[in-house]
Amino acid sequence: MGVARAGSDLRPAARRFIHLRGAASDGQRKTTTYSAFSLLRHGLTHEKWQRAWREHEVASAYDAVIVGAGVHGLATAYYLAANHNMRRVAVVDKGYVGGGGSGRNTAILRSNYLTPEGVRFYDRSMTLYSTLAADLNFNVMFAKRGHLTLAHNDGSLRTMRWRAEVNKLQGVESEVIAPEEVKRLVPFMDISSHTRYPILGALYHPPGGIIRHDAVNWGYARAADALGVHIHQGTEVLSIGVVDGKVTGVTTNRGEISSPIVVNCTAGWASLVSSLAGVSLPIITHPLQAAVTEPVRMFLGAVVVSGSLHVYVSQTDRGELVFGASTDPYPSYSMRGSLAFTEELASHVLELMPSIAKMRVLRQWAGLCDLTPDFSPIMGTTPVEGFLVDVGWGTYGFKAGPAAGEAMAELVATGKTPELISSFGLSRFGDGLLVGERGAAAVGH
Amino acid sequence: MIRIGGRVVAGPTRRIGPQPGEVIDRSRSLTFYWNGASRAAYDGDTISSALAAAGDRVLSRSFKYHRPRGILTATFHDPGCLVQVDDEPNVRASHRQVAAGMDVRALHSWPSLRFDVGAANQAVGPFLSAGFYYKTFIKPQRLWPAYERVLQRFAAGGRVSASSPHGDYDKRFAHPDVLVAGGGPAGMAAAIAAAEAGAEVMLVEEEHELGGHLRYGDEVALSRLQELRAAVAAHEQIEVLTNSAVTGRYDDNWVAVLQRSMPHVTERLVKARAKSVVVAVGLIERPYVFEGNDLPGVMLSSAVSRLVNLYAVRPGERAVVFTGNQSGEAAAAALERAGAEVAAVVDARRGGALLRARGRGGVTEVETGDGARVECDLLVTAAGWTAPTLLVNMTGVKPRYCDRAARFVPGDDLPSDVFATGGLVGDGDVDLLVEHGRATGLRAARRALETLDGHGPLTALPRLEPADHPALFRSRTHGFVDLSEDVSSKDLVSAAQEGYDSVELVKRYTTATMGPSQGKLETINTVAVLAESTGRTVAETGTTVWRPPHVPISLGALAGRNLEPVRYSPMQPWHEAVRARPIVAGQWIRPEHYGDPASEVRNVRENVGLIDVTPLGKLDLRGPDVPRLLNFLYVNKWSKLDIGSVRYGVMCGEDGVVADDGVTGHLGPDHYFMSTTSSGASAIYEWIENWLQTTFTDWSVHVTEMTSAFASINVAGPNSRELLRRLVDDVDLGPDAFKYMQVRQGTIAGVANCLMWRIGFTGELSYEVHVPAAFGLYVWEALMAAGADLGVGPFGLEAQRIMRLEKGHFIVGQDTDGLTQAFTAGLDWLVKLDKEDFAGRPELVWQSERSDELRLVGLQPTDPTVVPPEASQIVSGANEIEGRVTSSRFSPTLGRSICLGIVSADLAHAGTVVTVKQPDGTRVTARVMEEHAHFDPAGERLRG
Amino acid sequence: MIRIPCPHCGPRNSDEFSYIGEEKRRPGPDTSPTEWRTYLYSKSNPAGWTTEQWFHAAGCGKFIVAERHTVTNEVRATRPKPRFERSNAGAEAGGGSS
Repeated sequence: MGVARAGSDLRPAARRFIHLRGAASDGQRKTTTYSAFSLLRHGLTHEKWQRAWREHEVASAYDAVIVGAGVHGLATAYYLAANHNMRRVAVVDKGYVGGGGSGRNTAILRSNYLTPEGVRFYDRSMTLYSTLAADLNFNVMFAKRGHLTLAHNDGSLRTMRWRAEVNKLQGVESEVIAPEEVKRLVPFMDISSHTRYPILGALYHPPGGIIRHDAVNWGYARAADALGVHIHQGTEVLSIGVVDGKVTGVTTNRGEISSPIVVNCTAGWASLVSSLAGVSLPIITHPLQAAVTEPVRMFLGAVVVSGSLHVYVSQTDRGELVFGASTDPYPSYSMRGSLAFTEELASHVLELMPSIAKMRVLRQWAGLCDLTPDFSPIMGTTPVEGFLVDVGWGTYGFKAGPAAGEAMAELVATGKTPELISSFGLSRFGDGLLVGERGAAAVGH
Repeated sequence: MIRIGGRVVAGPTRRIGPQPGEVIDRSRSLTFYWNGASRAAYDGDTISSALAAAGDRVLSRSFKYHRPRGILTATFHDPGCLVQVDDEPNVRASHRQVAAGMDVRALHSWPSLRFDVGAANQAVGPFLSAGFYYKTFIKPQRLWPAYERVLQRFAAGGRVSASSPHGDYDKRFAHPDVLVAGGGPAGMAAAIAAAEAGAEVMLVEEEHELGGHLRYGDEVALSRLQELRAAVAAHEQIEVLTNSAVTGRYDDNWVAVLQRSMPHVTERLVKARAKSVVVAVGLIERPYVFEGNDLPGVMLSSAVSRLVNLYAVRPGERAVVFTGNQSGEAAAAALERAGAEVAAVVDARRGGALLRARGRGGVTEVETGDGARVECDLLVTAAGWTAPTLLVNMTGVKPRYCDRAARFVPGDDLPSDVFATGGLVGDGDVDLLVEHGRATGLRAARRALETLDGHGPLTALPRLEPADHPALFRSRTHGFVDLSEDVSSKDLVSAAQEGYDSVELVKRYTTATMGPSQGKLETINTVAVLAESTGRTVAETGTTVWRPPHVPISLGALAGRNLEPVRYSPMQPWHEAVRARPIVAGQWIRPEHYGDPASEVRNVRENVGLIDVTPLGKLDLRGPDVPRLLNFLYVNKWSKLDIGSVRYGVMCGEDGVVADDGVTGHLGPDHYFMSTTSSGASAIYEWIENWLQTTFTDWSVHVTEMTSAFASINVAGPNSRELLRRLVDDVDLGPDAFKYMQVRQGTIAGVANCLMWRIGFTGELSYEVHVPAAFGLYVWEALMAAGADLGVGPFGLEAQRIMRLEKGHFIVGQDTDGLTQAFTAGLDWLVKLDKEDFAGRPELVWQSERSDELRLVGLQPTDPTVVPPEASQIVSGANEIEGRVTSSRFSPTLGRSICLGIVSADLAHAGTVVTVKQPDGTRVTARVMEEHAHFDPAGERLRG
Repeated sequence: MIRIPCPHCGPRNSDEFSYIGEEKRRPGPDTSPTEWRTYLYSKSNPAGWTTEQWFHAAGCGKFIVAERHTVTNEVRATRPKPRFERSNAGAEAGGGSS
């Protein structure tokens, strides 16, 4: 099956953030460590907390400019500084830190993908997420609640087993379980056989769970800032300089920046930013909507996904149910949200858990997803030298953030595409070598 | 008991004498339960008005610090008044009317409202600053789940029960000319004017009756209210929905209305496509931020007016009124009328200031800006208004800050079919609001009816502007900005200092505005405190994006009744009568088996069986260019297909990936009939229409979907010819007259216009018959009756799957996946690259030049009793994936296990032994076969 | 739920239609991998006005062309699918037996 072995030279986990204290030079700073003790001290003394990340003037040159201050851009910057000692790095964003998909997703983490390359990649991300709180000294609240993907027909049950088997071979915990076991994990689930979409089983992925997405963004921003990375919010890239097929820098609303490397980490806006460099992408932008209910007491432990019903749901520590669905049926850059989405979502959630009909939807919102033809990302080089992309993340970008950032940082620093992401290059479309996530990732989450 | 500073000052009831505008029916008393104790109420009381009348002051405990909370706004958005009612969580006690026997319980109050252990959190408040959880519980990471469980205990909200019934919900579509959101004076006037202009109007009001602020106003207001209500009632063209809320205005005036006032239905979602929308949702009074502003007994001025005038409840005995507008004065007047003492009026317009409120479990003392301390049990604030601009902003218009009025206003450049009026637009007396409403309603009607020049000239829109108002957001002291989330102004200041200094970041970091009222009470103060701490103006700081829904809407209402379509064949009654086991196959529900699939297989192989294959996609193709179309759609050739013949074909997408397969027959001149897979039926129809309409527009082909027009039965087995012969007179079924891969039209059991084609998915002599759907059950029963002595019996999907696997036929989507190109599926014999063009041809040309492609192969486990579960992986070495088993069954015919699988090219040779890792971890071996077919590869049985 | 003014049926809710995609021309039979895969996969994906195909599945069954703004979702024009000139694709293989 054309399976390449996982690269044996995977980077070790990013060095512990705390070890970087003290080396305050080259724009680095001594950072207050977050801990129960520091909370106590600030509580007693009313001492002000440091800014989580600083504001800077935009410099005229950087070694790398990363476009997009979401989890991908910030992680790339952080790992550039932490793993490769590249610190003259800027992250520019027309909005604010984590204001795009990184702050709009449903914060579900899992690695139980269908293809070996997908599984390996996302598993690396899960590994990084597992120690991220300590690495960044920021509680990102990763809760391994367990992740259930329901099967409502024999075909999807077969796909679940396929995923489980590929996962196990990659060392990822994943198993197909029976309806009774689903009921044990989610007592509110209706597993009777008379429903329109009876539950025949589920793919159970114990390490899957939820995380606080904003905390991940902020944690990376704070840690990158401490290492000297400049984070420029409210800084929009207006053009990208390309001379003789090589990137020369970017022009922003806050001035020109020269840089030999520009990395596009802009998700839903990926096509627009790439077109500034003259690079065309096989990407179409669709809104993905999400909604949250009023809080109730905890009743839903696991993350529940149903591909057939186009819904995924989890309960936050605050008690809210967070829902997502499939992407909107036509492409758009609108983030206004639609009624049809909430209607369909509600009818499908109640198909699964009919007894929560009285819970109320409090808020709905939308993010923009950059979908590729094979439901896999596009990472790596482009025909324009120095212009790199980390895009095409569709509905699964957040869970990939750390591994993508780590790999992109390695590519920027070494000029070599890491083995872990070699299947995901832009050239695969021209070569007809698509990645086979098309079956499972349509509404994977 | 009501106490002030330890003194009992009132008896147990705070109900006062009849009020002119009261909405309670004193002739109808009822009893409900509050935390298990009975309480009296009148019909028309809200839960919180009844509790206030009974002297209950503390209605909840806040979620983080467990501080006592009571009535603040006396509206739907009242943050401290969420309760559990029976099995319904988070009921708005200041909106929901009391019903007899209701079991109302407070949230967040273990063990009780009065004695609350969580209140210890208040003492550690300084250490629980906004975002504290991001800064601790970091290490050791393995302890986070334990911390998390503690945090979860503090989760806000009520309880749901797994045993709650779903309840009855409903939906309705509406097509009003004009939809008016908000039934206050301006909204009512707009509705009246629109109706007078000839428009059909839907008037939606959140409260239980029309009137807005007129309802709790003075005598003049009440008399205007009666006039307006009468005028609304007089118009048959106005449909009034009370206790209903416009929850969102989506693109193209697609308006969601949550209707709560339907008898016998918990809630109903009305989806209205309005030609124009008038937004007249009024204003929301906003709280003021100061120390102690969350204590029970601190109320907004409009809350006081509502309690006194609508519910005849005296909200306190001794009050201090802090005011920046007329609403404060109105509240003071209402209090005096209710027999309460107004101890002090602090007027912000004259320099008065409010410093703090003190008390435990409720206000007992207020300290004003001049240092004076006043004993009281009620502190009334009138600090200004918030315009709930969501519906207008959903058009894409951004709110604009009006500095002199100290509030955001809707913003300009509304779309031409959306109008705003009333308090949302500006402040004025009833006459001005009505005049503006009328003028707006007329414009909306004319836009809707497109009678811009009819009914005389338009009068000018009267000037309606926000009135000047002092910028009252926060006192010199710090207090709660978001009572639902327990976020204080101090938290916001400290978040801004930490760099979370844009309005979206501060919101996310502190969770301010993210609670049940979604910022309707909190946003402006959040923005103002942030502006103050960053040295920017409110206008520069900007506001957060309001997000729908305007009020929370139940999952039940959004879902409505479950109307998921299901398809059954005409033979379904027969299947049910014999208790076939059903299986869901896309939209269809069909028999999986009739008890024992293996014996069904044996019966087909030995006698004859019937399977209901109605879900097969069926298309009627007519026209001279059908052969060209078929040649383009299928990978094989169709030029020479005689009338009376059928052919198997495979379709690929333009990427060369196998998309569908099926049989197409040539019925007559320019007339073909195509079958597709069941799941692919509608997609293939669309695919064909796409080519015909967009590319081959000059081809003459007409396509008609026939899937449901015919019932389809496959008659399979050695006795099938004999069985069919007994019911068919007009077709010669002899083996030489009706050969394999031929089609005939004829009469079966007296039913004319049936199609019969001799094909064999099962590998047996078999006939697939398509009969007019209305006669499907009749023909099925006739076949069953006629074949009793031939051993006829039904067989289901499972038996068919076994037999097709015995024959090595692949199933699109099971043995192929989203990347399986034709050569991978083993279709070398079928693909004709010498055709000049067909869908997907370029990709297949290139695929044919490669040699490293995966291949679909027949597999037989070495141990014939082992049936590897489908999706078992084919591996080499330790864990190297080389492929997978795509289909796997035990063959009753061969007495052994048989499989199809996809393997890498170097394993795809007959005789290769591969290793199969089963889900239970065991490894077995299997041999790659010469052919896909395990049984009768030469096809002698079906040609017989 | 946006409305799409079908040129055959009048304004209808968008859920009656299937979105097909950006307007594209199919390369001829002698295509190169680059040209063909550009046809298969590339998207202009603009933030602004775009010309695209929709299929009125629950209506007239016609493919139509719509000009839609991808930020506001406003549909400013629709028209029937134009009839292309006679294509040669598949012509060789045609003929049939009729």
